[in-house]
Amino acid sequence: MAEWNAYYRNDGDDEEEQEEGEQSGGSYKITGRDSLVFLVDASKEMFIKGEDGQPSNFDMTMQVVRSVYSSKIISSHRDLVALVFYGTEESKNPRNSFKHVYVYHDLDEPGAKRVQEVDALRGDEGAKLAAKTMGSGETSLGDALWCCANLYSDIKLRLSHKRLMIFTCRDEPHIGDSTKDRQARTKANDLKETGVIIDLMHLMKPGGFDVAPFFRDIVSPPEDESELGLQLEPCNKLDDLQKRVRAKELRKRTMARLNLCLGEGINVAVGMYATAVTAKKPVPIRLYRETNEPVRSKTRTFHTQTGSLLLPSEIKKSQTYGKKQIVMEKDEVDSIKKFEDPGLHLIGFKPMERLKLHHHIRPAVFLYPEEDEMKGSSCLVSALLTKCSERNVFALCRCVSRRNCAPRFVALVPQNEQVDEAKTQITPPGFNVIFLPFADDMRTLDPPQCPTASDTQVDKMKEIVSKLRFKYRSGAFENPVIQQHYRNLEALALDMMAPEDIEDLIMPKVDQIDRRLGPLSDEFKDMVYPPGYNPDGKPAAKRKTAENGGGAEKKPKIEVGVDELKAHMQNGTIGKLTVPVLKEACKQLGIRTTGTKKQELIDALTAQLGS
Amino acid sequence: MAGSRSALVLCMDVGLSMSNNAPGEESAYEQAKKVMQKFVQRQVFAETKDELALVLFGTDSTNNRLDQDGQYQNITVHRHLMIPDFELLEEIENQIQPENSQADWLDALVVCMDLIKTETKDKKYDRFIIALLTDLSTQASSEHLDVIIENLKQTDITLQFFLPFPAEEDEDENGGRDADRRGPGHPGTGKGLTSEQRDGLDMVKHVMLTLDEDEGLGEIYTFRNAIEQLRMFKRIEKRPTAWPCQLTIGSCLSIRIIGYKAVTDEKMKKMWVTVDAQSNQREDVKRETVYCLDDDNETEVQMDDTIQGFRYGSDIVPFSKVDQDQMKYRHDGKCFAVLGFTKQSLVQRHHFMGNQVMKIFPAKDDEHAAVALSSLIRALDELEMVAIVRYAYNKVSNPQVGAAFPCVKQNYECLMYVQLPFMEDLRLFTFPSLENNKKFTPSESQLSAVDSLIDSMMLVEEEEDGEKKDLFKVHQIPNPAFQRHFQCLHHRALNPDTPLPAMEPWLKAALERPEVISERCKAPLGDVKKQFPLTEVEKKKQLKTSAQIFGKDSEEPDAKKAKGDEEEGEYNLADIAEGSVTSVGSVDPARDFRTLIKQKTLPFGEACQQLTHRIEQLLSNKNTHYYMKSITCIQAFREQSIKLENADLYNSYLQSLKRSIPNRGLGVFWDLLVQVSCF
Repeated sequence: MAEWNAYYRNDGDDEEEQEEGEQSGGSYKITGRDSLVFLVDASKEMFIKGEDGQPSNFDMTMQVVRSVYSSKIISSHRDLVALVFYGTEESKNPRNSFKHVYVYHDLDEPGAKRVQEVDALRGDEGAKLAAKTMGSGETSLGDALWCCANLYSDIKLRLSHKRLMIFTCRDEPHIGDSTKDRQARTKANDLKETGVIIDLMHLMKPGGFDVAPFFRDIVSPPEDESELGLQLEPCNKLDDLQKRVRAKELRKRTMARLNLCLGEGINVAVGMYATAVTAKKPVPIRLYRETNEPVRSKTRTFHTQTGSLLLPSEIKKSQTYGKKQIVMEKDEVDSIKKFEDPGLHLIGFKPMERLKLHHHIRPAVFLYPEEDEMKGSSCLVSALLTKCSERNVFALCRCVSRRNCAPRFVALVPQNEQVDEAKTQITPPGFNVIFLPFADDMRTLDPPQCPTASDTQVDKMKEIVSKLRFKYRSGAFENPVIQQHYRNLEALALDMMAPEDIEDLIMPKVDQIDRRLGPLSDEFKDMVYPPGYNPDGKPAAKRKTAENGGGAEKKPKIEVGVDELKAHMQNGTIGKLTVPVLKEACKQLGIRTTGTKKQELIDALTAQLGS
Repeated sequence: MAGSRSALVLCMDVGLSMSNNAPGEESAYEQAKKVMQKFVQRQVFAETKDELALVLFGTDSTNNRLDQDGQYQNITVHRHLMIPDFELLEEIENQIQPENSQADWLDALVVCMDLIKTETKDKKYDRFIIALLTDLSTQASSEHLDVIIENLKQTDITLQFFLPFPAEEDEDENGGRDADRRGPGHPGTGKGLTSEQRDGLDMVKHVMLTLDEDEGLGEIYTFRNAIEQLRMFKRIEKRPTAWPCQLTIGSCLSIRIIGYKAVTDEKMKKMWVTVDAQSNQREDVKRETVYCLDDDNETEVQMDDTIQGFRYGSDIVPFSKVDQDQMKYRHDGKCFAVLGFTKQSLVQRHHFMGNQVMKIFPAKDDEHAAVALSSLIRALDELEMVAIVRYAYNKVSNPQVGAAFPCVKQNYECLMYVQLPFMEDLRLFTFPSLENNKKFTPSESQLSAVDSLIDSMMLVEEEEDGEKKDLFKVHQIPNPAFQRHFQCLHHRALNPDTPLPAMEPWLKAALERPEVISERCKAPLGDVKKQFPLTEVEKKKQLKTSAQIFGKDSEEPDAKKAKGDEEEGEYNLADIAEGSVTSVGSVDPARDFRTLIKQKTLPFGEACQQLTHRIEQLLSNKNTHYYMKSITCIQAFREQSIKLENADLYNSYLQSLKRSIPNRGLGVFWDLLVQVSCF
């Protein structure tokens, strides 16, 4: 769980962490860091600009690298990233043993400086800079791969995931030099054997990019022998490239591997993936003022009186209800939450229209079969998927996502695979897991009885709606809060005078809206609002009367007699009297009270009147 | 409406006839007591401001205000009107018992009315309720019945009766109109009622129907039904807070609205408090966080000597709170502004973010706003579109982007707002195709097996009258976590020294597949089992969890295991953070050992043991390279032992090693060791 949170950078205070953990759920066994090497062709061909001022392949690649760098900084700064060029004139690598390979960035965590350095390679200026520092020269992909292999082996940290992406527009880099081809194949195989996954991000080339003769042997075979691994069409658009890189750059991590139990001992292994998690501003780190080095925090629990440290066995947990303190061991508190072992249990199926829009309590997760855990899972899930979507039903399941986590009911909503024209997957095949609310989560509202609009009014609004139509795309908006935060950090890290301005994409473009609507908004207002009605005005009327009358008119004093007080004491109902009444009673009886708390007043009275 | 509350008097018959029971059945007394217990329990845990009094009748003694001249005898006010607590629950459990007298239930009712009258004056209540639990076996004098009814009407007291038998027995037998509600086999229905009971029942019906012609009889319950209804702890209810705002479209068009949370991931209201195990006092426990430098001495630094910083990739940027506040993103506060309109189908259900749904209504008592909002809702509904809006709760909260869906119901209309993801929130994963993979493509027979499984497991059925019936409505099930929580708290409060109880059977059953479905799907499931061979894959050696490394007993209770898990999580975190270690590995044992000692991950002795184990492994290889590695280990061992001023383990290990050199033919190694190290 801790790792999960670290991944999303929201390991805040305990409470929050717990909640988050519950939502994202799951912990994983694999530890270590993810790594990604960009191996970019720097040959002359890469710098040729496209038609109509389209950016060159090199420029496009740098933009993508830049965006990966900055997104890594935000979402997974502990991942290691390297940028290596091949086919350069100059050489720069750790032992300078490879010619025409230029290690621009060693495998390391991306930082502000690196982002700047990649920025420097963008655009026309960037091309000039690249020509000056690296130049274009001979190509030996074998050497380049070897060099990358060294980068990996020089890393002392444990790497859990290694990926290498080749960006090139040349399908035959060695132009028929079979020795070099062979060498490259051997090196690629060596890399793959050490667990590196090699991807090809092939770019547009006049005459088309043919993967078959050379690169087919270089890249890693696609996962699970599907056809999708190798993108046969080259990328020619920045968007496409970005999408492709994005899809691969992040490692899929399950938040939980569970069994989906259909009943009668039929268990299917499935993985749950968090595909939408609220990104939060990171938590601050404490630094020592003198040196700016991070300090570690230690939390200790000790006894207030003796000052001795308390062991976990020396503390308990308590809650108070109905004036009674209820105490439990920490273990018991945990065990209350346990209902059953983690897993999904099929209850039945319901037609899709039974899944109400407002039955939403937390972001959905994605479910995909885990063939590696249980052979045959993919086939059964595939069959369920086909039939559920054909019949337009969802599966209702009871779900315990982690140990010691209470059950929730979820709807497994079928999602068929969709690919775009470039064969990039837009939606993966599997089930979306929608968490359903319990009775406690539904609040009782009392909807007001209101007049409704007439058809002409509705029609006018329809015109307004049509004028402001746009095509919404999930994730089209950046979070201004997070963006601003990182711009600020960037400015401070790079000693910039002021942070770069951000565009607040979720700010309504008021001028544009007004222009598009033209007279429509006034026409609508004339239809629904009477003259002189101001919807922006605050309903201040009520307040005023309260102010006028409220101050002077205090509640009349309520007095209680001694007998009544005594009666209350005997009945044990003295607590029901209000503080002013009790105070008044004290005054009457001549009791001096220092306290103003109810219990103090009651104690004083009880002491005076005796029992 | 804060402070709204009701006053309720429980009035229970503990008289002689109540303890009669048919063989194998609980007595009316026991049942009535259960009803009260369950009810009070719910009140206590719901922590409402409702107040409660308890009046017993049929008691041997008499204690009430009206006790005079032999009137109102054998009626005891056990507890005055106040907020119920555990004391009351304990009293019901331990003090109340069946007694040997009888009292007129109408007299008892009068005592209750008097109690409400005297104890509720000067304070505001919005409801008065008297609940009578009796078997009606005592002859009641109907003399003042009219006066009583008139009084009840005047004081606006709601009367409820809890009886051991149903009030409308005859109808049960005739048409069974209410059979569903009443349930079968109530005790008492079989053996018939005594004449007193019949008279009593007639009187009860008379009273109830006079008070409320239509619904009066609905307030007469049987014990059994009440127990069933009350077994659930009250659902957590929160008064919805209104969020008034303006919906804006551009700069010219705005509509006054009011928003309410309609669905939200409800959490337990109370948190656990840490207390000292001996005194049970929270004041005795203090938590303190100290900061220390990451050096060998773990030098402590004062909070004041630290500043705040943030990570920017590999850089750590000092960024004070003041600067942060000054530079942070600012906005104009509360808003609900339309960015544009889009097709409903473009907003994907599985991209709903946040953990709530808000319903938007027009501002209160503003019919113009109502009409304006209604036009928007209807326009969107008819065009199947949604509004994409910018939403900010207030000035200090972060703005969101979200969708406002139209919702047109029979008796009301509203917009429903749900948060949508930002670019930063989405993780777009690619998964291998299932369809295009021949290995996973299900055959026709496999597909039809799944088809009939779905048929047999449909939870929504069409009834004869064309009505659709949902067999499993999740949003009507109480959150089992809360139910279980209160069950355990309740148990512990009343039985402090006993272990926690098992889960209540009804709760367990409520979470299971409905019986009908289970029966129906047996055969199709069998078919699926036959059609789809599933074999568990033999796991490759998994990375050891810390629990395994430390040899934790797998038989430990689950709670403990979970703890182990948490620890594991922490290690993982540390792992990422510093590439740290949980045991002495074989790659760089010396480094691992140093880290372990520094971080105090393992006790010193255990770390040493792991290290010497590695050294022995290395030495079994008889190769200079491995010898050198062993030597670095021994050096680390020595260095750390000196640092910790605990050289016993080191010395004894080295001595035993030296002794074993000749036997193991490790002369070369020893020479090397002597050469490299300068002892």
